[in-house]
Amino acid sequence: MNIKNYNELSSLELDTLKEIGSIGTGNAATSLSSLIGKPVRIQQPEVRIMGYNEAIEWIGGPEEITAGVLVGMSNQLSGIMLSVQQLDFVKLVAESMLNEQVESYEQIRDMERSALTEVGNIMISTFINALTGLAGIDIDLSVPAFTVDMQGAIMAVPMAMYGGQSDYIMTIGGDFVCNGKQIPCRLLLSPDIRSLNFLLRKLGVDSGE
Amino acid sequence: MTVENKITIGIADMKMAKDSGMLITYALGSCIGICLYDQRIKLAAMVHIMLPLNMEPGRKNTFKYADTGLRETLRLMESKGASRARITAKIAGGAKMFELSGGNLGNIGQRNIESVHLNLKKEGIQLLKEDVGGSVARTLLFDPATGLGCVRCYGRKELII
Repeated sequence: MNIKNYNELSSLELDTLKEIGSIGTGNAATSLSSLIGKPVRIQQPEVRIMGYNEAIEWIGGPEEITAGVLVGMSNQLSGIMLSVQQLDFVKLVAESMLNEQVESYEQIRDMERSALTEVGNIMISTFINALTGLAGIDIDLSVPAFTVDMQGAIMAVPMAMYGGQSDYIMTIGGDFVCNGKQIPCRLLLSPDIRSLNFLLRKLGVDSGE
Repeated sequence: MTVENKITIGIADMKMAKDSGMLITYALGSCIGICLYDQRIKLAAMVHIMLPLNMEPGRKNTFKYADTGLRETLRLMESKGASRARITAKIAGGAKMFELSGGNLGNIGQRNIESVHLNLKKEGIQLLKEDVGGSVARTLLFDPATGLGCVRCYGRKELII
């Protein structure tokens, strides 16, 4: 039986998705670590199924400014993946890769933009690589897109994409810890419902059969 | 614009205010905030729609969509004494947050703008002002006392509409 809405997932299915989050985020952390030359650990990733307005409160208020990298997924799994990069993450990347002090988002120019886009892209790609290996499926990724704006509007991108299918949004992801400091880089995987069913079937946790 | 007595409208939500208070909806990306206003009785409504067309079976979630959201809001305003002939509209939003090449994403913002325009026309509501499109997120405020709206963006001056 296929699920029709994210909130119908069973606890076994949620655990499976959490495991994917764990492996994916772990791989992404390793690639981040080699990019910035510092050890990076991950915190227990979470799977969250939230209503729209709840999701925006969760990420820390709608008008808060943040940087974000978005990659579209197609082929056997369709959806999008977002890397939400809050200021501490931007500072870390600028300092370790460009040897620059960044204090605010206004200081993000072409060079920083390009570095942040690429870091986001590499982390997303490693996450997806882990997922394709695990599930034995093919996923094509689009060229990454970057923006700095209100995080409410950035989070609304996956919502608007699946708004016709669901009143909920599912996110899989977690935070990083670097130099003993928690870095709120959130990697959010948002597959559409059809793809989510397909993925669960491929992983052998389809609830109905 | 000072903000007191804030009345916050979430995503896929609608609220009304009469005479005073400040209607506000945050971080419109591809979504659109529609302010409807009857100047004579100072009754204002704000809807935060997310998608252009309601194609859900049963058509619940009225305020999530431009077509049903607008129609339902007008109905509720009329039941509070507003007159269709006096109601005017101001809108903001419909941006494209990420520039994706090859885009299977499509441009939801643009489709929202077109649907709101079309449905306002269909309902016979005059569109007074708008701040739509582009690639910036917008916070929209509307004051029922004056009928003035205000759009707040990152890295841009406030705009009165």
